[in-house]
Amino acid sequence: MRIYRNRILEIIKGFLLFVAFLFVVIQPVGRATARVSLEYHVKAAFLYNFTKFVKWPEKAFANATSPIKICILGDSPFGPSLDAIKNKTAGGRKLVIFEAKSVDDVEDCHVLFISSSSEKEFFDSIERFREKSVFTVGDKQGLARKGCVINFIVVNNKVRFEINTKSAERANLKISSQLLKIARIVNDE
Amino acid sequence: MINFGKSIQSHFLKKFHWGFIMLLMVFLFICSPFVIRSASADYVSEESLPDLTELSIEDLMNIEVVSVSKKAQKFSDSAAAIFVITQEDIRRSGVNSIPDALRMVPGIQVARIDANKWAISSRGFGTRFTNKLLVLMDGRTIYTPLYSGVFWGTQDTVLEDIDRIEVIRGPGAAMWGANAVNGVINIITKKASETQGTLISAGAGSEERIFSNVRYGGKMHDNGYFRIYGKYFERDNFIERDESRGSDEWDALRAGVRLDWNDSFTILGEIFDGDSGGRINTVTFTSPYSQIIEDDIKNSGGHVLLRWDKYISDTSDLSAQFYYDRLEYEFSLLGTEVDTFDIDIQHRFPLGERQEIIWGLGYRYIQDDITNTDILSLTPDDDEYDLISAFIQDEISFLDKTLHFIIGSKFEHNDFTGFEIQPNMRILWSPKDRYSVWASVSRAVRTPNRVEDGFKIDNAVKPAGSLLPVFPGAGVVRILGNRDFDSEDLLAFEFGVRSWFRDNLSIDVAAYYNIYDNLRDQTAGVPFVDPSFSPAVLILPYVNNNNMDGETFGIELAADYRPFEWWKLKAAYTYLQINLHTDGILTLGQEKSEEGSSPHNQISLRSTMDLKKNFELDLWGRYVDNLTGQNIGSYITMDARLAWKPSKIVEVAVVGQNLFDKSHPEFEPQFLQTIPTEVERGVYLKVSLSF
Repeated sequence: MRIYRNRILEIIKGFLLFVAFLFVVIQPVGRATARVSLEYHVKAAFLYNFTKFVKWPEKAFANATSPIKICILGDSPFGPSLDAIKNKTAGGRKLVIFEAKSVDDVEDCHVLFISSSSEKEFFDSIERFREKSVFTVGDKQGLARKGCVINFIVVNNKVRFEINTKSAERANLKISSQLLKIARIVNDE
Repeated sequence: MINFGKSIQSHFLKKFHWGFIMLLMVFLFICSPFVIRSASADYVSEESLPDLTELSIEDLMNIEVVSVSKKAQKFSDSAAAIFVITQEDIRRSGVNSIPDALRMVPGIQVARIDANKWAISSRGFGTRFTNKLLVLMDGRTIYTPLYSGVFWGTQDTVLEDIDRIEVIRGPGAAMWGANAVNGVINIITKKASETQGTLISAGAGSEERIFSNVRYGGKMHDNGYFRIYGKYFERDNFIERDESRGSDEWDALRAGVRLDWNDSFTILGEIFDGDSGGRINTVTFTSPYSQIIEDDIKNSGGHVLLRWDKYISDTSDLSAQFYYDRLEYEFSLLGTEVDTFDIDIQHRFPLGERQEIIWGLGYRYIQDDITNTDILSLTPDDDEYDLISAFIQDEISFLDKTLHFIIGSKFEHNDFTGFEIQPNMRILWSPKDRYSVWASVSRAVRTPNRVEDGFKIDNAVKPAGSLLPVFPGAGVVRILGNRDFDSEDLLAFEFGVRSWFRDNLSIDVAAYYNIYDNLRDQTAGVPFVDPSFSPAVLILPYVNNNNMDGETFGIELAADYRPFEWWKLKAAYTYLQINLHTDGILTLGQEKSEEGSSPHNQISLRSTMDLKKNFELDLWGRYVDNLTGQNIGSYITMDARLAWKPSKIVEVAVVGQNLFDKSHPEFEPQFLQTIPTEVERGVYLKVSLSF
């Protein structure tokens, strides 16, 4: 055993040196301080755009200038990407972002993004949202069929979406034909 | 022996330093100039984030992203026969061990020899000592270099912490290296950040007597996560062919830790200790010439693994890994201690717009210490050997990234056969979202191991008098290793189609034709009298050689169908035909026994249902054809699981396994004549708490 030890030490030393060298020499292109998923950066921009194409009923707001509340339910996949839409306005209303841990905290939201981590929790209590004017956004194929108003899908590496017009009607939301035209329309299961 | 070791050592050191300098130069050369940013990035750095909010919705729809979810299931886009067992598959199948989970994979044969021994293989050649399958757990090779196979009874982890098991059938040699001849099984556990909180699961049953898993995951500081875990189980014995109770019950205790920092630095460590039993038929050199003895198997070991991943750009990364693994495995005929040191680096970068290059280097050093017995021995009884490997692969995309051409090779140097080259060529065409077609041609080799090189087993004794008039005493059938044993070769042709017919139906079909050469066989040598025995015996030697060749042909099908959101059906079908031929005369009949050790047909059908009130009902039926080379009939059996999740914290499950018969045999052992037992029907209750 002892005769091997020097050799093993030699190998490990050499290897560590080599690795250290590699890790020093190969520098990141740009800085890798914060990596942001481009997919979710695009989806965040979509969330902002949706607010321009959706009309909520008057009673969904306290008054004519109260903000549009965009909620992210569960673990947010957006990183810092939502910062870009924080100070935007849509139809004269400011946008506010709210990250919610539980489905109990999101009943007064206007836009509700359902992260994959909270999908099950949301659909377990979807009945609560049936009559509410919440523009629910799923993040997986098929969720609009399950009762969301809209869900993102990625097709050929591009972001697309499915809209369930029945869900929108039930929620008393008016979706612009411009948005409907570019979406896949789906029905309840 | 020491001289032999030293000469390797100095040779190795020279080679290593020379290689080291060369590598640095190569690396400096290819480094920075080619590290180019690609347009279709998964990630961008924060500084370079474009403001997309001013773009129109139509413009947004034209930005190319790579779906995060797609990255995880990137295998649907790969040019190889791949099947992924997810955590959900493991949970809902009710299996309690990794081997049992592999039964759902097309192309894989899983047969239990006794309660603690398995014969697991991909695309044929299954035995307890299957040697054409590479098995990895979190980047660590877990097959033993002694016989290039896995002691399945020693490999385990908390099943709830497994993220997925990727099973690649067919040669994976170009990237993974020797032994990845007929397949690669890659067991990947979750990151520590995904196993936060406490998990306690425990249960008891008729075959799974008792088992318990405890895991705690926490945060260290901003970007550091850890988990610690422990697992203990006791499994019951099975019955032998004559309905008597076997003594193959076993237990194992393991504990481990995982740390992840910053998504870039990972440490894994584990220790385990297990005891298992069984009975084994061994020879005696005087009357009665064979006897069945109780086999007491002790296995223990552990490992430490360090990995460093470095993000370079969106399409480029670098990783380095080191691990040390120790396995002690001792049974009545042999004791083994094996230490493995392994270092690997891998680097991926784009070359121009179309190409992505992955290359890597690896070095493995193995030392072993063997305790021999008169019946089974390895020469030398301690040894050290190493393996140097490098691989490079280039993936070139055409036609708007719908056509991919992949070419690569592994280059390897081992102490048994020297230099080996294992190239492959693959093509993948995915014209639509709805289907993709792939094909490949590859060469792989299975390099010799310690056992084949220098083992000796006295397998049977012919009683005194039975060899008259040639010899008056007893005759000993002795199988011997061979220093000149060469690598086994494979040339594989594969073809596959994947199709997603609707959102709820997908089908994956793979077909292959494999041509093997230089397969292992044993042919009779010249008998000689061994005077060291008293009375003297006649040794009838059979020596390992490469006299056998053959072809295999097979079709594998996997289908997923979801008729309703709450009901999923998953089917797998395997067809396999093996034809082997030997040039040798006076063989032990290896070709017939290997041909007949794999079933022609296998079917697995799984149904998972989400019922009302948080109940889950899962059924799993399996059919396995008879083994013509063994006295094993076909069998149909079924597992069932009923689970209830009254709250987020608690899950209660009742699982029945192998329900259709009281017991059924699955495999007859070869070489080592352990007494096989029959897999029995079992029921267990399991309670899991996670908070």
